[in-house]
Amino acid sequence: MSTTKIPQVNEVNEFLEIASDFEDPLEVIRESLSNSYDAGATEVEITIRDRPIGSEIVIEDDGEGMDHADLESFFDLGNSTKRGRQNGSIGYKGHGTKIFYKSEEVLVNTTKNGLNLRAQMEQPWEKLNNRTMPEYVLNEEAVKEGNSGTHIRITGFKSGHGFSPTSLTYNKIEHYLKWKTLAGSTGHFFTDDFREMEITVILGDEIDDTRDRLVMNNKLEFPTEQREPGEGQFSESRMCKHYPPRELIVETENGDTTTVEVVGMVGGKDARNELPTYGKHSAQFGVWLAKDHIKVERVNDTISHDNEFLHFFFIANCQDLELSANREKIRNKSSPVYQAIVEELSHYLSKIASDPWFKDYLSHRRKAKLTRRAESQQSSIEKREQRIHERNRFTPSNDAEVVLGLERSNRFGAEPEISVEDYDPSAEVNALVRQDTNLYASSIHRQLTDHFEADKPLESVDKIICWSYGDRDDLSELERSGYHSGEISIDFENDRLIYNNGRRDNIHIVTVQDRL
Amino acid sequence: MESRSEQFKNDIFEISAEAGDARSGVLQIGDTKLSTPNLLPVVNFYAGGTDASLYGGGIHRTIKEFMNGDEVVNGGDYSRYFDGVMTSVASLTDYGISRERYEDYISAPIRERDVFDFDGTLFLDSGGFKFLGDRTLDGSDFEVEVDQKAIVEIQRRLGGDVLVNLDHPIAPDDDYPTRVEKARLTAENVDEFLDLTSRDDTRYLTLHGYNYSMLDTFLTEVEKVIGRDRVHREFDGVALGSLVPLKDNKGKLITAVSDCREVLSDWGFEELPLHILGISSSAIPLLAAVGADTFDSSSYIHSAINGKYDTSLYNSEPVDDVDFTECDCQVCSDDMLVRRMKGDAEYQKDKLGAVAMHNLIIQKEEIKRIQSAIQSPGDDALISYIEQSLGREKSMQQHAHRVVNESLGGYF
Repeated sequence: MSTTKIPQVNEVNEFLEIASDFEDPLEVIRESLSNSYDAGATEVEITIRDRPIGSEIVIEDDGEGMDHADLESFFDLGNSTKRGRQNGSIGYKGHGTKIFYKSEEVLVNTTKNGLNLRAQMEQPWEKLNNRTMPEYVLNEEAVKEGNSGTHIRITGFKSGHGFSPTSLTYNKIEHYLKWKTLAGSTGHFFTDDFREMEITVILGDEIDDTRDRLVMNNKLEFPTEQREPGEGQFSESRMCKHYPPRELIVETENGDTTTVEVVGMVGGKDARNELPTYGKHSAQFGVWLAKDHIKVERVNDTISHDNEFLHFFFIANCQDLELSANREKIRNKSSPVYQAIVEELSHYLSKIASDPWFKDYLSHRRKAKLTRRAESQQSSIEKREQRIHERNRFTPSNDAEVVLGLERSNRFGAEPEISVEDYDPSAEVNALVRQDTNLYASSIHRQLTDHFEADKPLESVDKIICWSYGDRDDLSELERSGYHSGEISIDFENDRLIYNNGRRDNIHIVTVQDRL
Repeated sequence: MESRSEQFKNDIFEISAEAGDARSGVLQIGDTKLSTPNLLPVVNFYAGGTDASLYGGGIHRTIKEFMNGDEVVNGGDYSRYFDGVMTSVASLTDYGISRERYEDYISAPIRERDVFDFDGTLFLDSGGFKFLGDRTLDGSDFEVEVDQKAIVEIQRRLGGDVLVNLDHPIAPDDDYPTRVEKARLTAENVDEFLDLTSRDDTRYLTLHGYNYSMLDTFLTEVEKVIGRDRVHREFDGVALGSLVPLKDNKGKLITAVSDCREVLSDWGFEELPLHILGISSSAIPLLAAVGADTFDSSSYIHSAINGKYDTSLYNSEPVDDVDFTECDCQVCSDDMLVRRMKGDAEYQKDKLGAVAMHNLIIQKEEIKRIQSAIQSPGDDALISYIEQSLGREKSMQQHAHRVVNESLGGYF
């Protein structure tokens, strides 16, 4: 006997799962903006307050509103009435609005074609966690045609740890919206009939009272171009060049084609700082893949590694990218289309990296760095000059200066004449010196004690040439404890070091300061 | 050949189109015409090229059979791929031939011999490259001291259309005094070369250097020896040499050629055709883009000898792995030749000779595309050609971008 079974879905768990992906109240704003845009809104106002009963987020737009079917899909999971790619909608999965379930109350008030609908859902999050499906109460009323729009109020949003609405500021919201949502769309670069939307954000004074409201459009705009370097120590820092919108036609290995719309800029730090970045530059710049002209993920390996991605800011939009539910990740990375996109982008960016302007920018950057280094060199030279003026006599501060001191002593007639014939600072026995007609293997150090600190052998050394002996107590300790399993004794009167390690070595100590 | 002694020099080369620094035109020498940029296959006329050497000559012989359209290679007409040919005096000194054979070989101009059906432009190199690496041009087997005089004699008797002076190429590790000395030795040859030839001959001056300063130094030395007037009035073209050791470094090749064009322009030689000695294959589009007019190379033969079947200027496959149906060139469309390339051949030369001919066609067809890109109005066709060909090869990309930026005004 055979039976046919249909796999079951645990609806409550699915809702819980999807809603749990969202934590940040800013994501509520992102989803709302996308919904308002898809509803044809030209204005949307978002208000966030922190009330004693919990946070409250209100989104109001002048879009076409929702009818019964729209409202159902608003609350349903995976039941979007939007046609996605076909009609240019951002949302089409029916996942985004489920973020609203993570609250104490959802209230939707919407008007479409002369019908006003009011839906209220109480304690959705608590009910989901108690494994019951939350319900909503729907009221409808006929109204005058022509006043469409939607008003959504979320009360008591359950933000994740560290994402409390009280931590929001206008500045943070502005940067988030411009960087992460359609408020930073690059769509306007590619079409003449781009639909503008005015976005207003109002934070309660208890959250941020530095201004009344924040108003912005839905376009990403680059800092103004400045192709020539500026003045001062960081002359390259405000340099900026725009690379105009280009449509790259990408062909995959199986013959499909897709279009990548890429636009971007290259700029110095000051120019980049004029952008509303959301986070550190290293985490924000480079090459972004976007869908619906909203940035999703970076693909910085499309820039060859000898060019730091930090200078680049490019957005490459492709509608054939597939995204995860929370829009943070690209899902179809192993597809031929993704591979082809990345390859085409690498090629395009290699042209940017070879642009003479970019090379010129890098060269200004290098020059500015060299100038700064030269300036710091100059100040270090001044300090060194000052030290020379302050001291009474020549005093070496490194081994090479001991060599110079020795040569100076010869010039001033010190006896016997000892001249350096060969000096290799990296060798253990770092010098060969001539005295009379003989060559002597020598170790040259600022102080005699340095020879021992460097753990150098004594067996192969005829002379140790130093400015001075150094700390005599350290030398006495060596006499007491021995060195390299041999015994040392130093005859300061006659400048001799006797080393006894089975064999007796008699080493001449030349103290240069005594020759000057 | 019509006397041109009354005319000002440089009238052999007519430039008809330019794209950035690249140019396309016609080299007209005597009755021969050669469109540029162009590649001259190196053909060894000696090996298997005399009545006596009926069976010798190996792959060189097969190449000449293609040139002639002989029945042994199925009689196809390949002459369009031999519109210009480079041969070298060194192709004589490489064989231990007797005085008698030598006399016999140089007894008649190549074009007039019955054994060859060749009517293209014949460039005759001096073989000076043999001096590299302490080697010499040794003519002792046939009792000739190979000096400038002997070289001109050979070039003349073989009927070369373009004659090149005997030169002393430089090596990458030569120091400054060595390079200056080589320039001086070359200049002395040039002096003699000019004495031994006349304005009725088409004469190319060899230059050696990897960048502007080296080339300028070289020209200065030549000028010191032969005098300003002769440098400026006597030459019909310039051949840039010494680049073979750099052949795998495309960046250095581009620098050498574009700097050479700059030096020539600063010396007032801008209109002279510029030949690049011994460089071909994947470097051709890059160097044509920065202003090289002709190239020569034997790489089509060398690849074949190594069993490499070229699929483009940049790629090759082992001949035994090739699907010949994917190529529609004249060789690969000839069933008999395909059978030979598949190994059904009596001699290895029959197999590899066909591969070599195919390889040459790949290069010649590509150079046609370059010509046509330069001839299209504006720079865009050449930019697009470079981007779509070289620009798609990872190893070539940076060089492709460089020539687009430096010679063609860039992408942005």
